[in-house]
Amino acid sequence: MSLESKKKILVVDDDADFVESVSLFLEHNNFTVLKARDGSQGLKLARMEQPDLILMDVMMNERTEGFFTVQEMRRTPELAATPIFILSALYETQAGFRVKPQSSWLAHDEFIAKPVDMRALLEKIRARLGAGQAAGEG
Amino acid sequence: MSEAAGTVVVIDDDYAMRLSCRKILEKTGFHVETFEDGIQGLEAIARLKPPLVVVDLKMPGLSGMEVIPRVRDIDPLIVVVVITGYATIDTAVEAMQNGAYDFLPKPFSPDELRLIVKRGMERHRLALESRQAEIERELMRRRFVTFVSHQLQTPLVAIHQYLDVLKQLEDSPEVQARRQEWFDRCLKRTEELQGIIKDWLTLSQLEGELARERVRVDLHQIVGDILATYEQMARAEGLTLENRLKENTCVVRGDRNCLSVLFDNLIVNAIKYNRPGGRVTVEGRAGNGEVFVSVQDTGIGIPEKYQAMIFDEFFRVKGEGAKTTTGTGLGLPICRRIAREVGGAVTVESQENVGSTFVVRLPAFREETAEAKAAGCGL
Ligand SMILES: Nc1ncnc2c1ncn2[C@@H]1O[C@H](COP(=O)(O)OP(=O)(O)OP(=O)(O)O)[C@@H](O)[C@H]1O
Ligand SMILES: [Mg+2]
Repeated sequence: MSLESKKKILVVDDDADFVESVSLFLEHNNFTVLKARDGSQGLKLARMEQPDLILMDVMMNERTEGFFTVQEMRRTPELAATPIFILSALYETQAGFRVKPQSSWLAHDEFIAKPVDMRALLEKIRARLGAGQAAGEG
Repeated sequence: MSEAAGTVVVIDDDYAMRLSCRKILEKTGFHVETFEDGIQGLEAIARLKPPLVVVDLKMPGLSGMEVIPRVRDIDPLIVVVVITGYATIDTAVEAMQNGAYDFLPKPFSPDELRLIVKRGMERHRLALESRQAEIERELMRRRFVTFVSHQLQTPLVAIHQYLDVLKQLEDSPEVQARRQEWFDRCLKRTEELQGIIKDWLTLSQLEGELARERVRVDLHQIVGDILATYEQMARAEGLTLENRLKENTCVVRGDRNCLSVLFDNLIVNAIKYNRPGGRVTVEGRAGNGEVFVSVQDTGIGIPEKYQAMIFDEFFRVKGEGAKTTTGTGLGLPICRRIAREVGGAVTVESQENVGSTFVVRLPAFREETAEAKAAGCGL
């Protein structure tokens, strides 16, 4: 695989340790990883770098920050179709926390519970991006 | 709801009575709806949810006495005032026992009616407020539980993720190169978890009905003991700790352990958020029945916009300081709670990159009995 064919994944999470382990795993599996510590950084990076997929934590600084960022991304035409996986530790435990993917205000693609099962995540990412296929511009 | 906020429902079988009640109350600015029997009245009450109902006790059909519990079923916060004849004071008392707020014996003057309705309205407003406060408290409690779970989950998730990747990519050179560092990070995060649990327990014990001592405590001694414990650690950082409290000047009544926790948290912060070669100074004065003890540092300071937030549970300033220090953000909320417990307060003054001063205000110890006085003088 040539360098350009690597898919780019943006990881947005305020926990540096989480970002560290997850990025290493993804890099090991041949992805390029962009890292952002908060929603606004994530938004900036996403607009600049146009990642192929975004992993976004939704319980960052403020409870709504992650969701807000997702909304903003969807309003950006270049990012409107980028797959967004939402990560949350509260996903399983909090009744009513889950938001339906088809909610128009929050157009995301997957809810992933934290801690993340890395193998399962990898499969989901590959399925979404078309396993082993080179990027369009390659 | 807001439309009906000033609504009074009057139920009386006597036409003249309904008319005069309406006139008097409308003149005072209330919106009045009148009904000639209990059934119609209750229907309207269920619909309008008025803050106040005036009902005649003696009516054909559903009596006023029977109306009262039904109004309370609709909404227990609705205030019921009963109108009663002179001869039936006993019944009025019974009505009050059934949940009526007050009674108005016939004949009454316009002013008497106005006064009682105004008082009833005020009562309703207070009841509404306290219900609102209760709802908010409950929401806070639920939010807090969610918040604590999140705080506990964050380090757990980080540890889990490290272990998962360590296990799956055991043989890869990237992971091998980071192995030691990752183990260290995992240990750090377990410490963080332990800290959260310890602080949280302290906090919930403070909330509980824990029987606490109320004894004479000289803060000079408490602060001296705490500073002594951190002396070595501070010296290693090049920090100077100074206790300027004088003996027997800042004396309060309280629980020795709680007061230790309070000053321990402030002093640890002053050390933790200090800079190499800095100082931590504890000073105190007494006056007007209060003592003021300040814990002053020459550290990184707190940006003004965050100064109001640092007393919130789990709040930590996300700056350079947060990267190099660990903490749960429960220290200051604990301090505030302890101070409030004995009628005191904790405040902060701070300037970024210059330092912070936390001032603890506590009621001064007062000798209450001859015995306590003797004990106090003896010290
Ligand atoms: N003396 C100080 N100088 C500068 N910043 C401070 C000082 N004291 C507190 N802070 C800021 O206020 C925040 C909250 O303090 P608090 O003591 O509640 O929590 P913590 O120290 O982070 O954790 P812990 O629960 O372990 O005490 C700190 O994270 C820090 O950002
Ligand atoms: Mg602290």
